Amino acid sequence: MRLYDIVALVTPDLADEDAQKVTSEYRKLLTDGGGEIIKDEPWGRRRLAYTILRKKEAYYHYFQVSAEPALIAETERRMKLSDQVIRHLAVRADLELKRAAKMTARLQEKAARRPPRPPSPMPASTPGEAPTMAEKGEAS
Amino acid sequence: MSPAPRGGTRSATASRDAKPGGRKKFFVRRRKVCKFCAEKLEYVDWKDIKLLQGFIPERGKILPRRISGTCALHQRKLQTAIKRARSIALLPYATD
Repeated sequence: MRLYDIVALVTPDLADEDAQKVTSEYRKLLTDGGGEIIKDEPWGRRRLAYTILRKKEAYYHYFQVSAEPALIAETERRMKLSDQVIRHLAVRADLELKRAAKMTARLQEKAARRPPRPPSPMPASTPGEAPTMAEKGEAS
Repeated sequence: MSPAPRGGTRSATASRDAKPGGRKKFFVRRRKVCKFCAEKLEYVDWKDIKLLQGFIPERGKILPRRISGTCALHQRKLQTAIKRARSIALLPYATD
């Protein structure tokens, strides 16, 4: 099982409910194929940054799915064939997320290790107080 | 052992940067810091358009590292994120 991000853009020619019907079709396909939908967010009708098939808007819908590669290939194939879905994107998310988690863990570990910092640049204002410490600081 | 010499090198570079002598105008250039490193954002999310838009100047191009100060690793992540966002029309390929 792998984690995927899928975004589908549905034609603005449809009414709200019809667009939802189209997305629910894909939801069904994903769940029936053995995938587990983790996030399911309608982003609503959005302006496109550039025209696609002479359309300036589209209904965006976002899924985050944990599924086998074959299932994703199948949904992508259907989206490609569909006239209602004008654009789609399906990318793997788990690799990046795992790496990011690892990096943040490492950063935290580093931060936890750092605080007991030795006072290396000794201020020379108090020479009489602790000469041995100052000498040590200079030597190291 | 390690902290003292490191501190020494740092102070040396600082003194080199701030040349007090010479009549030439000089700017105290603020050191650019990678935004993602500073804020500890490891995952550059391609769905976060507000974040990405900060790295897209008017023309719609990707802001170069030399200007934004992003580190090499995060610039690479940012690049793929922007390209993904472009492919589903969240961001423009070009504007004029």
